[in-house]
Amino acid sequence: MNKRSLLCFLCLWLLLVSCKEQPVYKKHRSVYKIGDDAAWATKGLDDQTWKKKLAWVPDGQIYWTRTKIDILSAPEPLSLYGLQLEVYGEYELYWDGVLIGKNGNPGQEAELGPEGKLWVTFSIPAELTEKGEHILAIRSSLYFFANHIGIYDLKIDHYDDLLTDRLIESSYIHIFAGAFLIASMYFLFLFLSNKKDYTVLVFSISCFLFFTLTMIQFIGITVPIHYRQHHQRLSVISALTFGISFLVPLYFSMQFPFPKRKLILAVCGSILLVMFMLKNHSFNLTTYGMASSMWLFTTSIVVFGVYKRLNGARLVLLILLLCVLIRFIAPYNLSLFVGFSLILLSMLYLLSLRIKDQRLAYENSLVQSTRLRLELLKKNIQPHFLMNTLTSLMDWVEEAPKQGALFIEALAKEFDLFNQIENETLIPITQEIALCRTHLEIMAYRREVNYLWEEEGIDEEQKIPPAILHTLLENGITHSLPREDNSIMFKLVFESNEHYKCYTFLTFANSVKNGGTNRKEGTGLKYIKARLTESYQSNWDFISEPAQHGWKNILIIYH
Amino acid sequence: MNVLIVEDESRIAKRIERMTREILGESLLSISHINTLQEALEFVENNPLDLVLLDLNLNGEDGFDLLTTAVSGSFHTIIISAYKDQAITAFEYGVLDFVPKPFNIDRLEEAFKRVITKEKAEINRVKFLAVKKRNRIQLISIEQVLYVKGAGPYTELFLADGTKSLHDKSLEKLEQLLSPTFYRVHKSYLVKMSEIKEIIVESGSKYMAELKNGAFIPIGRTKYKDLKEKWI
Repeated sequence: MNKRSLLCFLCLWLLLVSCKEQPVYKKHRSVYKIGDDAAWATKGLDDQTWKKKLAWVPDGQIYWTRTKIDILSAPEPLSLYGLQLEVYGEYELYWDGVLIGKNGNPGQEAELGPEGKLWVTFSIPAELTEKGEHILAIRSSLYFFANHIGIYDLKIDHYDDLLTDRLIESSYIHIFAGAFLIASMYFLFLFLSNKKDYTVLVFSISCFLFFTLTMIQFIGITVPIHYRQHHQRLSVISALTFGISFLVPLYFSMQFPFPKRKLILAVCGSILLVMFMLKNHSFNLTTYGMASSMWLFTTSIVVFGVYKRLNGARLVLLILLLCVLIRFIAPYNLSLFVGFSLILLSMLYLLSLRIKDQRLAYENSLVQSTRLRLELLKKNIQPHFLMNTLTSLMDWVEEAPKQGALFIEALAKEFDLFNQIENETLIPITQEIALCRTHLEIMAYRREVNYLWEEEGIDEEQKIPPAILHTLLENGITHSLPREDNSIMFKLVFESNEHYKCYTFLTFANSVKNGGTNRKEGTGLKYIKARLTESYQSNWDFISEPAQHGWKNILIIYH
Repeated sequence: MNVLIVEDESRIAKRIERMTREILGESLLSISHINTLQEALEFVENNPLDLVLLDLNLNGEDGFDLLTTAVSGSFHTIIISAYKDQAITAFEYGVLDFVPKPFNIDRLEEAFKRVITKEKAEINRVKFLAVKKRNRIQLISIEQVLYVKGAGPYTELFLADGTKSLHDKSLEKLEQLLSPTFYRVHKSYLVKMSEIKEIIVESGSKYMAELKNGAFIPIGRTKYKDLKEKWI
């Protein structure tokens, strides 16, 4: 999905969720009174003296809540209105003085133990929902959270709709949460197969936390919980939010690394921890605070990424800004969930970019290996070597056939050695030296120079990428002139200690005057460097420079 | 004939030298062998030469520097190289022949024959003429050259922009390289055929060629008939 269609999809979704039907009722302010009287349920009661606010009711005493409700339109014949409530405590529910439902045992909570649930749907008898004013009276007790007085949520609609809406909502929520569960499992397995990749793990955990958060947030749909347990639910939500709020900036800090990363992350973590630990009258405020600081840290990191022109940073920044927009246009809970899921999606997007980069790098390395193999194969058929050798060979055959035959033997030996090493990435050093010696033999026939070879401290157990020394030797031959006694000497010295292995390859010769121009990095040196990278990644050093005696190459391989 | 061999493979250089002696026999006045670019450039500068046998890849250096210097000289250049794919470029720069390695004496003799018999090219492959200007080599596109006038051992190139340029090669050597695009209409003139607008016969059997740019070039009496055939 490209960026534009993603944006369109989001807008459409927001539009859909923000469209609501006109409610069929209007709720007035509730009034409260401690005490118990069956007459308080009646419609005509004068509740002028009742309190507008009640701070708390001690010891699980009975108290009453009366709420005036206007029904704006009566239900169709043969259909019922229902009432959905989120009220703390155990209670009996009266509608126009008629008992229409019971949730637990008000006033007897201590004796009978917790009963009932936090979210309940009641049906209202059809004859009581004609258009006009009605009274909802709740006779309740709050044994466990004496200060959670009041109606937290109330909704009146067709009874069937209230029930089916919850089913539909529940199915969506499960699909939504399931997607994150699957993502979390998939990326967990991905991490297990490559334990170095911590971004994948962080993403997997974030997805899992978000899945759990979604399930706990909407737990009322699946598991009926008593109001006493609600505190635990909110604690879990807050802990999950804390986890996500830390993991998200951590993830982005891995994707867009910045200076003083650990320090800034520690600051972020401490701020979140303080918010989490600080006892606060509202869990919502804690959650919101943590989500906001997560947004702030993440956005700062992403802005840094945009500044550094890191791949994907701009789209992520756009999504983060979109989250702010959503916060302002959507209800609190919804905006939190949409925001979190958008951020998780952007994390997934970055991960997919990285996986793509890794794939390309892998493909590249395959191509590179093949290219190196070809380069090795080409050494013996490239025209400069082959045609010059053949021309010299023709001459030897014509002028001194016996010598010519020896020349052919040397050539055959070099070809044979090349065939043996053609598919290898590392070969024994002895094989490489044999290759060099044969090459010198051939070159002696071609150039009629006395080529000498010396070795020092060679460890025959060592391995080396193929044709590296051979390439250095070729360069040495090409770029040097024989000394006064018509000889050129090559010397290979091996040293090793606990930190590195070192090959020094020296050429003793007169150098070619080249009019002051420096020797450019030819394909030979590129081949050597590519071979070293292939076998030792970045754990090597290579120096090639003129020396008083001719030329000096130093090759260091770190352990 | 004075010959210079520029080759860093000593066995091959000896082979070329031996074969050259065999082919040229007594007409060979001197033969030298050089195996580095720098020395070759100096040698070419300071010695009279008739022919340079040049390997383009010396000690890992790009031989095209030497090539442009060589082709700007008064002598002919024959390339002996392992890289056949350089042949087209070499011809474009105005070498007389390109002998790919490995070679035998027959192939080398064929190349020398072009020098000795002054055999003209059958198709013109030259795209540039290299001229020395203020110690630098300048390449002049053959498209720019309208006609060439002999000036003693040198030649003058008359160009489309109205300027002229001095070239170290003799008219004869240029004729060898530039045929048949250019035609020797007179002992002192080599003219691009496509530039001739009209052939004018003047009184007293004097023939002139009028060029598209308005210049008049004398036509040799013996050349008139041949030119007319070719021009039509």
